[in-house]
Amino acid sequence: MVVPAIVLLLVFNYAPLFGLLTAFQYYDPPAGVWNSDWAGFDQFRLLFADPLFWGALRNTLYLGLVQLVLFFPIPIALALLLNSVLSVRVRNFIQSVVYLPHFFSWVLVITIFQQMLGGAGALNQFLRSHDLQTWDITTNPGTFVLLVTSQVVWKEAGWGIVVFLAALSAVNPGLYEAAAVDGAGPFRRMWHITLPGLRTVIVLMLVLRLGGTLSVGFEQFLIQRDAVGHETAEVLDTYAFYYGITTGDYSLGAAAGLFKSVISLLLIWGANKLAHFFGEDGLYRR
Amino acid sequence: MTKVFTIGAGTSAARAPRARADRPPWQERPSVAGQSAKGLSLGGVLAVMLVPLWIVVVTSLATPGAVNRAGGLVIWPDGFTLQAYREILTDPTIRTALIVSLGITVAGTALSMVVSVLCAYGLSRPRSPGHRLILVLLIVTMFVSGGLIPTFLVVTGLGGYGQWWALILPNAVSVFNILVLRSFYAKTSAELIDAARMDGAGDWRILRSVVLPTSRAVTAVIALFYAVGYWNSFFTVMLYMPTDSEKWPLQYVLLTYVNRGAGMPGSVNAGFGMAHAQTAPLSTQMAVVVLTLVPLLIVYPFVQKNFRAGVLTGAVKG
Amino acid sequence: MRPELNRRSFVALAAATPLLAACGGAARQKAGTNSRAGLQAALPSHVPSSPVKPDIPSVAGGAGAATDPAFLSYPSNQAATVQGTPGRGGSYTAVTPLWGTVPPAGNSFYEAMNKALGVTLTMKPADGNNYNTIVPTMTAARRLPDWIQLPTWWNAIFDVGGLAGTQLADLTPYLAADKIKKYPNLAAIPTGAWQTGAWGDKLYGIPSFSSSFVIAGAVFHRRDILEARGITAGQVRSADDLMNLGKELTDAKRGVWAFDDVWTYLFPAWDVPLTWDVRDGRLIHKYEMPQFFEALDWHHRMARAGYLHPDAVAGQNANADTRFYSGKVLISGGGTGAWNLTDHQSGTAADKDYRRGAFDFFAADGTSAPRVAMGPSTNVISYLSDRLKPDQIEELLAVADYLAAPFGSAEYTMVNFGVEGVHFTMKDGVPTATEDGKKFVQAMTFPFLASPPAVISNPGAGVVTRDYAAWQAANVKSLYKPVFWNMNISMPRSLSGASAAQAVEDAVKDCYHGRTKVSEVQAAVSTWKTSGGGDRLKQWMTGNVLDKYGTGQ
Repeated sequence: MVVPAIVLLLVFNYAPLFGLLTAFQYYDPPAGVWNSDWAGFDQFRLLFADPLFWGALRNTLYLGLVQLVLFFPIPIALALLLNSVLSVRVRNFIQSVVYLPHFFSWVLVITIFQQMLGGAGALNQFLRSHDLQTWDITTNPGTFVLLVTSQVVWKEAGWGIVVFLAALSAVNPGLYEAAAVDGAGPFRRMWHITLPGLRTVIVLMLVLRLGGTLSVGFEQFLIQRDAVGHETAEVLDTYAFYYGITTGDYSLGAAAGLFKSVISLLLIWGANKLAHFFGEDGLYRR
Repeated sequence: MTKVFTIGAGTSAARAPRARADRPPWQERPSVAGQSAKGLSLGGVLAVMLVPLWIVVVTSLATPGAVNRAGGLVIWPDGFTLQAYREILTDPTIRTALIVSLGITVAGTALSMVVSVLCAYGLSRPRSPGHRLILVLLIVTMFVSGGLIPTFLVVTGLGGYGQWWALILPNAVSVFNILVLRSFYAKTSAELIDAARMDGAGDWRILRSVVLPTSRAVTAVIALFYAVGYWNSFFTVMLYMPTDSEKWPLQYVLLTYVNRGAGMPGSVNAGFGMAHAQTAPLSTQMAVVVLTLVPLLIVYPFVQKNFRAGVLTGAVKG
Repeated sequence: MRPELNRRSFVALAAATPLLAACGGAARQKAGTNSRAGLQAALPSHVPSSPVKPDIPSVAGGAGAATDPAFLSYPSNQAATVQGTPGRGGSYTAVTPLWGTVPPAGNSFYEAMNKALGVTLTMKPADGNNYNTIVPTMTAARRLPDWIQLPTWWNAIFDVGGLAGTQLADLTPYLAADKIKKYPNLAAIPTGAWQTGAWGDKLYGIPSFSSSFVIAGAVFHRRDILEARGITAGQVRSADDLMNLGKELTDAKRGVWAFDDVWTYLFPAWDVPLTWDVRDGRLIHKYEMPQFFEALDWHHRMARAGYLHPDAVAGQNANADTRFYSGKVLISGGGTGAWNLTDHQSGTAADKDYRRGAFDFFAADGTSAPRVAMGPSTNVISYLSDRLKPDQIEELLAVADYLAAPFGSAEYTMVNFGVEGVHFTMKDGVPTATEDGKKFVQAMTFPFLASPPAVISNPGAGVVTRDYAAWQAANVKSLYKPVFWNMNISMPRSLSGASAAQAVEDAVKDCYHGRTKVSEVQAAVSTWKTSGGGDRLKQWMTGNVLDKYGTGQ
């Protein structure tokens, strides 16, 4: 039963892995992978000697972890809140509005933020016209992490609840009724029935999210890199883009990408071990 | 949904005689404080979500003068014109593009679902041979990729250049989706499956008559994920049929409206004089955003329906 | 070639190591920099033609610069410059970048063009915004079409130097010296433009929109608004003048800021070269010049003073045009290509008084003579595939000759406006596009394959033509040919990072947005010189370009 999926992955994901070889070359596209000069580990040596690379890694980890803490619980909370709304019509309406921002491009999301909160945006023009101190939100490196996290929350939280709603609908309502009859209040019912019902999904999502810590959203940072400067907004993906792709130094970009892959795999492996430690299945059973 | 609660209402109608039809009778009347807190937070969420949607819609209907007075996106309606929509919808290429998009989305989603459901079910059985190894094989592809050009070379090497299948097959399997499906399959129907197995049912029958019916909600969600992925994909189009404009799906055609003139480096040549393209008016760009959202608004209620269906089956089987 | 490539990919996958060992380290010959003598032999002769007399004739400056001739009306009797149809019935595919909506395949304009050209030329425009991704995949799979346009600003990404001779056809045997006289309209394209399409002393590219007035851009202003306040562009004669003007114009409370980003277009005022200069026979990079940091300091102070629009500081440039049209920004840098009819139409739609102006070049100190480096003679170059046979190349060159017919000729009218009565009608002596014309013709396709030298012509908006021509005439004497002008240097890939100097450019941007101090840019420059490859770059440029080929002047 797994054969079709495996075949597709082998052809379209595993076969192109020969491209990883470029990380060990001075890759020259017209020459191709097979005729480029070999570099051994030179690209990695260059990478690890570059303070900008370590800066990008530091930013990525910091932004990724903050997003994990601040963003991850929100779709779950929102799903629970929505699920507790009794009116079907209200619930359906809210559901079908909150997921829409997911389909906005990052360019649009950031333009909207800039027009509302930017230095010439609605908020600051209001403050200016009342002779009040303006509030620098979109170009302040100090609060950049909060800015990008709120952008992610706004864009993705509504979309993120869909899986949890599916999980909630799989919880047997008979359990709630039985608990209510036994005298359990709404909070105890949530604690003892709803959350355990969601647990497997939450753990799965958490493990996957941890594995994706280093992928903090390339486009979002690419667009806002100039607003706060590269010292704050450079992440691994933008680093690989600017120092690998735009300069034609593809092998350095490939080396950065391979490094990121390896760390991500380690992270997800660790997250899975942690899940096992707490008696959860995580990605696979022990 | 009504059905479920009618069942419930019959059993304990006495406890809450004035219960609204939506509220299960065993549930207590919410406190005023709790209710208002809930209302406030949901109202806040809604406001934050609706304001930008409002801005996008208003701008898409704005006249050039209004966009200009606002100096960007329009917040308060100020003049009204359907010009942006008329411009896009009268484009003769839009109709073919819509058909192409529908075809790719339907075919792709069908294929992806078959492959993913099979794979997820196969891996969800506790004693399936080598499932751990296969899972590792799957998970690796989520984080390790050979890169753009090597993937392109493999697909074109198989003759995919300019072919529809090149837009579907390379991304037909989402490991994330398989893992979600698998986790639901593994959890929700363990007892039912054991019972069916006792009755001598084979894997195919269990999948068809036990697993799928009890996990309609997650199946609908994953189908939505795939469909949205196919519908919105433009990168594969750019790679495999960048110059075959008559084969382009809708999203790619719309993209050319958004990008009009945007990247044209007007700086580089005086000789561009006549060639310098006019950048797309903001209202056109926003009209494209609105048009992108419309199909989702149409499809989403069908997905929602399955959330309730899940409740129903759960209640009946439970 | 293709089957071989496929087999290689897959066989190699199955048994990667041995095959790789066999292939590793194979050195590849790149078409290198042009040498002076070799290039002279390959370049075509220049035979100017001028069938229509311009209303504002070209004015020559120093160093071979000249203004573009300007036309206020469109000629009514359009003379033919090509006899019969250029083609002999061949079938070809052409790919060009298009920044806009792609016209449907097989439309009435394409068909009329095919009939006029005598070939079946299938035009396949690709999205210009993604062109830099589309072309490298095509070359990697060796799927270039018969005829393709490769803009010069992507030369490094596309590695045109490497493609020349391996995937792109050598046109030297067909066009060198007097051979080009077979194609009179191509022969009328100035020699400098052909030079931009030459690699390793051979001719590959066919230039479009060539001009003798190519510069990075200008510092524009809202002439209507400034003049209404009694300010004329001539009053700005130094950097201090411009700073004072910024102070006068900025009114943040009303949402008006004086400046959008101007750095790229203003730094020449401090006599900073585009990249390199040669002083006393030695190569010097702009990062090594004190005036580079003086220029930065001015921009830094301007941003700190609050004269720069906050959206520019935030790097939000997608709506820069809207800011300018709506008068929220009054001074903005940009390419001279922006000074045209569509800009005038968009601007006047927003504000009926809209008029674009540009400051004359000035030296920052207000006393020296301003100097502005010329860019390459064209940025739009098309190439033919090396799979074509000699007679096919000749056929396409004849087609290119048709496309390059001069302004006002019958062929020019066909290429740029289509068929009269179908795609355009003459209104008040101005060709005016019909609905079909707007959809099929106005999307630029054929002129990206070949076109005559640039002219200034904005039918229906004489004020734009006059303003722009007058500005060119007033500034042409400031233009000079920088070192290595039009030389097409192909650098080894290991130096591309040093050449891009991303870390320095980031620091520069932070500085002119007012975020970091000039001293931090100086620190970034010294890091770049030592560990960023800057010194290696300079050595390579000295040894492999300056000492071998000279400065190209």
